[in-house]
Amino acid sequence: MPTEDNRPIKVEVKNLTKRFGDLLVLDHMSFNIRKGEFVCVVGPTGCGKSTFLNCLTRIHMPSEGDLYIDGVPADPKKHNISFVFQEPSALPWLTVADNIAYGLKIKRLPKEETEQRVNQILDLMGLQEFRNAYPGELSVSAEQRIIIGRSFAMKPDLLLMDEPYGQMDVKMRFYLEDEVIRLWKELGSTVIFITHNIEEAVYLAEKVLILTNKPAKIKEEIVIDLPRPRDITDSRFIAYRNDITDKIKWW
Amino acid sequence: MERMNGEPKALRNVLYWGLPVLAIGLIAIGWIAFSGSNPDLMPSPAAVWSRFIKTFTKPIAKTTLIGHAWASLKRVLLALMAAWAFGISFGILIGWNKKARAFFGSIFEVIRPIPPIAWIPIIIMWFGIGEFPKILLVFIGTFVPLVINTSTGIEMVDRINIQVGQIFGGNSSQILKDIVIPTALPSIFAGIRTSVSSGWTTVLAAEMLGANAGLGSLVTRGWQGSDLSLVMVAVITIAVIGALLSVILQKLEKVVCPWNH
Amino acid sequence: MSERQDLEARLQSWRQNQKKETMEYVLLSGAGILTVLLVWQAVVMTGMVNERVLPAPTTILETLIFKLGNKAPDGNVLSVNILASLQVALSGFLSAIVIGVPLGLVMGWWTYADRFIRPIFELVRPVPPIAWIPLVVVWMGVGLQAKALIIFFTAFVPCVINSYTGIKLTSKTLIDVSRTFGAPNYEIFRKVGVPSALPMVFAGIRVALGNSWSTLVAAEMLAASAGLGYMIQIGRTVARPDIVIVGMVVIGAIGAGLSLILSRAEKYFLRWKINR
Repeated sequence: MPTEDNRPIKVEVKNLTKRFGDLLVLDHMSFNIRKGEFVCVVGPTGCGKSTFLNCLTRIHMPSEGDLYIDGVPADPKKHNISFVFQEPSALPWLTVADNIAYGLKIKRLPKEETEQRVNQILDLMGLQEFRNAYPGELSVSAEQRIIIGRSFAMKPDLLLMDEPYGQMDVKMRFYLEDEVIRLWKELGSTVIFITHNIEEAVYLAEKVLILTNKPAKIKEEIVIDLPRPRDITDSRFIAYRNDITDKIKWW
Repeated sequence: MERMNGEPKALRNVLYWGLPVLAIGLIAIGWIAFSGSNPDLMPSPAAVWSRFIKTFTKPIAKTTLIGHAWASLKRVLLALMAAWAFGISFGILIGWNKKARAFFGSIFEVIRPIPPIAWIPIIIMWFGIGEFPKILLVFIGTFVPLVINTSTGIEMVDRINIQVGQIFGGNSSQILKDIVIPTALPSIFAGIRTSVSSGWTTVLAAEMLGANAGLGSLVTRGWQGSDLSLVMVAVITIAVIGALLSVILQKLEKVVCPWNH
Repeated sequence: MSERQDLEARLQSWRQNQKKETMEYVLLSGAGILTVLLVWQAVVMTGMVNERVLPAPTTILETLIFKLGNKAPDGNVLSVNILASLQVALSGFLSAIVIGVPLGLVMGWWTYADRFIRPIFELVRPVPPIAWIPLVVVWMGVGLQAKALIIFFTAFVPCVINSYTGIKLTSKTLIDVSRTFGAPNYEIFRKVGVPSALPMVFAGIRVALGNSWSTLVAAEMLAASAGLGYMIQIGRTVARPDIVIVGMVVIGAIGAGLSLILSRAEKYFLRWKINR
């Protein structure tokens, strides 16, 4: 993990503000994310993390300010944005392979390239033997993995994940966290990962953004300078974890 | 679904309220134009209206329109009461007990694909064209959907809910009464709704094929006497009552199964 | 993978259980039907019920075989009647699916389409299908087209309603996923709305099938010169209950057969649907 980060800036968020009527949810948030960076966003429950993501994906439009990808205002039709929701969002009528290819087909990628990427993901995730199964035949955690595979297959400009492992048990979570790091390293995607689990954030992130309570602001950006694979029993890991936990608790 | 953010608000409102009005307007114009050029095939709205009024001043078969409507409704209600009593109980039986379902259910499955209307000739042969055969026919027509919906509703009760009851020490009939039947209520109610609309349709068929009173008999009378206005009056009355029954049941469902919404 | 082994083990024990239950079920079902037939036959043979009022099952069978080759008393052999009925029912039914399902889907997705078509639909809907018979007959006579139109009306309504409801229930999450990938509205309709509505569409088609077959019989009893409904009507007028019952049985059997075909189609199109 270099101490000097020379990667170009991929995502700029300038004064992002969102109001619902009189309710101010996001308050002039500004930060940058570099290309290929893995950022975790943590904050107290209900502080507006999901609203924040929804603005990034244009499901909501910001009231003020905006976010820019490669210098241009974000646009799902122009840019490649992938979103992993909390609830499993596989299309039940498509096979595993077709689900992974879903975003690629919408972007009108040529057939050979789609095939190649789908196979790459299936191999990376060990899902080749299930490629013709339907999501309904597999477990909930398998379904969520398919979604993550689908998102990475897009080689997105920005990959957003909203507490994707919230409903998994501990053992499955560790497995999935390793998997997402593996995919991230292999494909070099830029990732914003929202979680309420501090340990998960420290395990995954290069940088952690701490949000305040509603109206949400960026409280602090903490760089996690630890080698991978990370050891959750390591004293420095624990120090980071406690530090961030404290910073959230005081709100 | 489509976002309507794109258009200005004024245009949106115009389309939202204007389109249905336009549709109804087109139908009205169509009706008047068609009946204007083909008065034998289709009476004009005015003709239908005057025929409607006439049914009060010159009753048909000594009964006003309301009398006929009531005759039809009465048959349906009588049949329905019997159908609800027998149909729901039978549905619970074959839904709950696997062996009953195998033995009686098979007999039911053989009878079931025969449309109630197909029963009309044999019932007329056995019982004539009085009140009882008509009520019997409506009973057959309403019994079937009740049994199907009730038994499916009972079958579909989540295993978990039943297990909870067993853990709490309930015996079979308690579980049936306190857990299974309330859970199946929405399905049973769906069966009741279907039975009412099915009953209304069946009574019509029965009356069209042989009756002196009832809205169906008015349809036949108008048809055979080339009195199309009467046919229209009867059909519109039938539709209106059918729609009313449907609305009443919807309101009733909200009361009986409030948790469904 | 342990996940796969676990899946296979679960599948095995489930299959074995199913086999045993199915055997019991089949035996009891057979017993039920057999009991009814035996009682029926006994009641007629012992003279408790007059053969002229309720023919014995054996008589019914004889009449069925008779009717296969003989035109009496309605003027057509059985197969001609069956064909006539099927022709009318299927043309009305299939047109209703082809027009009704897309219409319901479009109405459920595009609000303006809904606002325009809905009033027209709500006028057609509460009219019981049988009530259309006199009107359609006066306008179009008693030919194939007229009867098919009547069937069309009765099948049309559940197709539209169910397709509409089905697509309205499309999961917002799946729509959002597609939007973040940049899919335009029409593509989301095609790739998410329509497949997601299919289970309800099939439920609607099933109801439409039942309605179609039922109304067909009524239409033939009131205005036809061939077909199964016509046959049982004639059977009544010449006091031949055996013909009537044969007709009823054939009507029931074909109705059940059509329903089975629909189930097969449903199993194929909905093969992805597994309830957890």
